[in-house]
Amino acid sequence: MASSSHSSNFPCAACKFLRRKCMPDCVFAPYFPPEEPQKFINVHKIFGASNVSKLINEVAPHQREDAVNSLAYEAEARLKDPVYGCVGAISILQRQVLRLQRELDAIHADLIRYATATCNCNEMPPPLGRTCFHHNSSGNIYYPNPRWNEPYGGNGRSDGGSL
Amino acid sequence: MTLKSGTTSACAACKYQRRKCIPECLLAPYFPADQTKVFQNAHKLFGVSNIVKILKSLDPSQHAEAMRSIKYQANVRDKFPVYGCLGVIRQLYYQIQLLEEEFHSVLSQLEMYRQYHHEVPSQLELGMAPPTNGLHFLTAVPDMPVSMQHSYSNSNNIGYCSSYVDSKDHNNNNNNSNSNSNNNNNNNNSLWIQHPFLATNNSSSSNSNENNPLMAIQSQLLVSNTQPLVIQHEVVQDYDELHPFFDTIDDRQSFIHSKEPYDSSCEDSAKETTQAIELVPNNELKNAAACFSLTSVH
Repeated sequence: MASSSHSSNFPCAACKFLRRKCMPDCVFAPYFPPEEPQKFINVHKIFGASNVSKLINEVAPHQREDAVNSLAYEAEARLKDPVYGCVGAISILQRQVLRLQRELDAIHADLIRYATATCNCNEMPPPLGRTCFHHNSSGNIYYPNPRWNEPYGGNGRSDGGSL
Repeated sequence: MTLKSGTTSACAACKYQRRKCIPECLLAPYFPADQTKVFQNAHKLFGVSNIVKILKSLDPSQHAEAMRSIKYQANVRDKFPVYGCLGVIRQLYYQIQLLEEEFHSVLSQLEMYRQYHHEVPSQLELGMAPPTNGLHFLTAVPDMPVSMQHSYSNSNNIGYCSSYVDSKDHNNNNNNSNSNSNNNNNNNNSLWIQHPFLATNNSSSSNSNENNPLMAIQSQLLVSNTQPLVIQHEVVQDYDELHPFFDTIDDRQSFIHSKEPYDSSCEDSAKETTQAIELVPNNELKNAAACFSLTSVH
């Protein structure tokens, strides 16, 4: 939540935590308002204030708020789950994607089976094909690389998988 | 360059810090000397001290898994400086939504075929001619998927219901399947708007973090997953593997607060799907007409 105006009477959450004077050109002030102290605490605990400052300065000004918010999310995730952090959610979602793809393949097979049986009976045309949005020419829709999206194994195996 | 005693070289961490890599170096097993870029990414995001702090807070048996996730997170952040892993999560949510849409669409088609398959034998038993029903069914097929595409979520499709949908609906406090637009809004809200750190007009305090739907989703996903979550060893050793997926994504777009690109992508895919469906009727009608003409001769 960016603060458009910053008053020196109210230090930002970062300067308050770091116990320093909050200058008008404080890099943290627009993104760490004093009403959200935990946000900076989390980010500082995981990434460190200096790293966050460098990351903010490397990003275009209009994207800094999004960058800080994503860092805040990752920091909170890492605090909740020190082992996997937000990567755990990625793994779960990737497995969901694979599961849905398998279910989709199965239901397509059923559809073709039914349609074929119906075609044999009444010479019906084949069913509507699978929507081709997976092969969108613009490339916006991604059909995941199986190796990259190989899910986190739950059977204790330690081989395979790109994630 | 300071080398360890013996023939082994310093790890990437110690080499970067220009210090002697002792045998007890905590980071040496995870940052070999030939992976300087990976270490630089991790150092840039977390910092050596923070990484060591994380490792020391964990059981030694968890170090490998933690380091894999840290390296992955750092590599993703290097590739996508603005959104990092959050962008990956968003793309996966979007992907899941599209898959579920297609799933329901195909399911509705399957139900129609099943229904037709059950109706024809009974009509034949009664001595009724099926072609008219088939023709009606054929003409109905192009229309129904389009409408069903918007109302498929209202159907009670048992058997193929995704448990993820149920959990997601539960997280969104959406107990019944609403329309597609509502699902989109809920997904967007749960991901991007209701998060106190991501909302522009959300004035929630830090105490609301526990009630944050986005974190609740993650927690729900983590809790509801009964299988032990084990990151396989082959993490992104070479993070260039991310390229095939992420080359099509422009991290520089500010899409969190602007839903237009997200919505337009949905609309574009829906339009393409609709166009694909609308092209079918002509062929089906021609085939149906051919069948009808053949049967009518006799």
